[in-house]
Amino acid sequence: MHKLLIVLLFSLTGCAAQQNNNKLANELRQTTPEHILSILQENKPDTSDIAQYYLNLGYLQLLSGEFTSAIESLSTANKEMQLLSAISITENVAAGTINETLRRYSGYPLDRVMVHNMLALSYLFNQDIEGARVEMLQADVEMKKLSEGESLSGQLASTHLLSAIIYELLDERSDAFISYQLTENILNKRQIPLPEGLKLGLLRASKKMGNDQAYDRYSKLYPRLAKQTNLDKQVFILYFNGVVANKEQRSIVVPSFNGRQLIRVSVPGYPNTRVLQQQANISDGLHRVNSALIENIDVLAKEDLDKEYPSILLLTTTRAVAKYKLVEEAQKKDPLLGALLNFATLLSEVADLRSWNMLPAMVQFGYLETDFDNITLSANSQIEQPINLNQGKQHVILTTGLSDKIFHYQQ
Amino acid sequence: MKIQSSFWLAVAATLMLSACSTSVERLDAQEQIDLSGAWNDTDSQLVAREMIEDSLSRAWISKFVQSEGKDPVVIVGSVKNLSHEHINTNTFIANMERELINSGEVQFVASAANRQEIRDERADQDLNASEATRKEAGQEYGADYMMQGQINTIVDVDGTTQVRYYQVNLELISLKDNRKVWVGEKKIKKLIKNSKLRL
Repeated sequence: MHKLLIVLLFSLTGCAAQQNNNKLANELRQTTPEHILSILQENKPDTSDIAQYYLNLGYLQLLSGEFTSAIESLSTANKEMQLLSAISITENVAAGTINETLRRYSGYPLDRVMVHNMLALSYLFNQDIEGARVEMLQADVEMKKLSEGESLSGQLASTHLLSAIIYELLDERSDAFISYQLTENILNKRQIPLPEGLKLGLLRASKKMGNDQAYDRYSKLYPRLAKQTNLDKQVFILYFNGVVANKEQRSIVVPSFNGRQLIRVSVPGYPNTRVLQQQANISDGLHRVNSALIENIDVLAKEDLDKEYPSILLLTTTRAVAKYKLVEEAQKKDPLLGALLNFATLLSEVADLRSWNMLPAMVQFGYLETDFDNITLSANSQIEQPINLNQGKQHVILTTGLSDKIFHYQQ
Repeated sequence: MKIQSSFWLAVAATLMLSACSTSVERLDAQEQIDLSGAWNDTDSQLVAREMIEDSLSRAWISKFVQSEGKDPVVIVGSVKNLSHEHINTNTFIANMERELINSGEVQFVASAANRQEIRDERADQDLNASEATRKEAGQEYGADYMMQGQINTIVDVDGTTQVRYYQVNLELISLKDNRKVWVGEKKIKKLIKNSKLRL
């Protein structure tokens, strides 16, 4: 009994680690990714949080321009998630008796696919487009693994869009067209209006690959865009808006029916907050293009948690019964030990608040064709930053509302 | 009694520590070991050997020797990785180069990157080496054929089971007139089953 008391209290260290991580994710809204990265690098992850730690670390390294380190960290996280995809017997026993933070973080469907997006971007800005292509193929396999009938769990429009861009850069026309179409399908199912850049992508890719039937269909759907003449340079812009919401703990404490002990139940949930949707815009002096929503990560994170709720409720109930029985047995032997154990079961009952909580809240996309060598970009309605396009004809630009850094790939 | 319990405690602690420590075992480089099912050194060696053997057994080589009176000079160009995995194609290229050179049936010249380093050295010799040992510029062997290729994969997945199909295509192209004198293909199919449960 005494040993069990120690185990229950020891489990609280995991609780402190997740609170610290959530605090850092909240601070990311007010400070630069580089600052949070330096704090995160000083912390060593718990064995059970390795995947979450490296996901956040890798994402911050990407936003700080440390692409090689980002590839290393995100690959470590990906490997850990693959390793943990099988169901653990011991971890489930621990989750059903003490709390769910004792389970190793194996990533939600969102994490398992999004990690390939971040890896692909890291490879791309590290001047390795073939590496980026490999990541997109792996993301496709992962999405196939996660697909369940009509469910959109683990099916990311941003992943298909990024695949389409990479295929277009590699002049793989039919793959680009298929990926633009898959993006269109997901956005339609999610009832998100198609960004103009995506409509242009569908028109362009169907025309380039000689799919006349599809081109005619899209020309009828988007007659104004079909009339646009193609200009010399292509600029694809991705904008990461805000920071995804953190989970919060919802707890209730009730006395048992005989009034001899207190029972605490804790479950995770997402707050009903709304991220202010800001945009990036690019201009060549003649045309101005605003980025538009392609992925609402806040929504995907909530859907992933909702999907897990039946098993969370089952484990929470199992835990409550197990803890009640344990305290009851202890009370019979020694009332003081019973009271202490009851206190420990209350303290150890914490919800699992772990998630990839430094991701952007939204991913937006914009597309511009221009003949000019210089364009300007502004995000969050802040000052316009110049971008030079004279080194190539195809450009991918990543910017975020968290810092004024711009990442630029050109070929 | 106390000594005995301490002994057993020490034995238990040693066993636990040995379970946690890193162990290293030297293996034969030719030994086939598949851990994750991904492309590995065995695949690279096997494909390189079989494809080079195939290329050297075809008619193009005897025709060339007959018409030119010398062994053909070959260079290995790029092998594109179009697969689902981050494959280091340099090791595959190195395996092919080794098989080609060791066959003794073709002459082999250094790749573009290697050549530049050698040219730099020759330029240096031109200034610093004695006349007797100096190597002149303009004496390089020009390649007759370039070998190029790509690695493709098709992955079929259902839950924890995967079928990975690798297809390696290589071509030998005449530098004189762009004729393809040999086209080779090697396929590898792997069934990977991951456990649904872990401890």
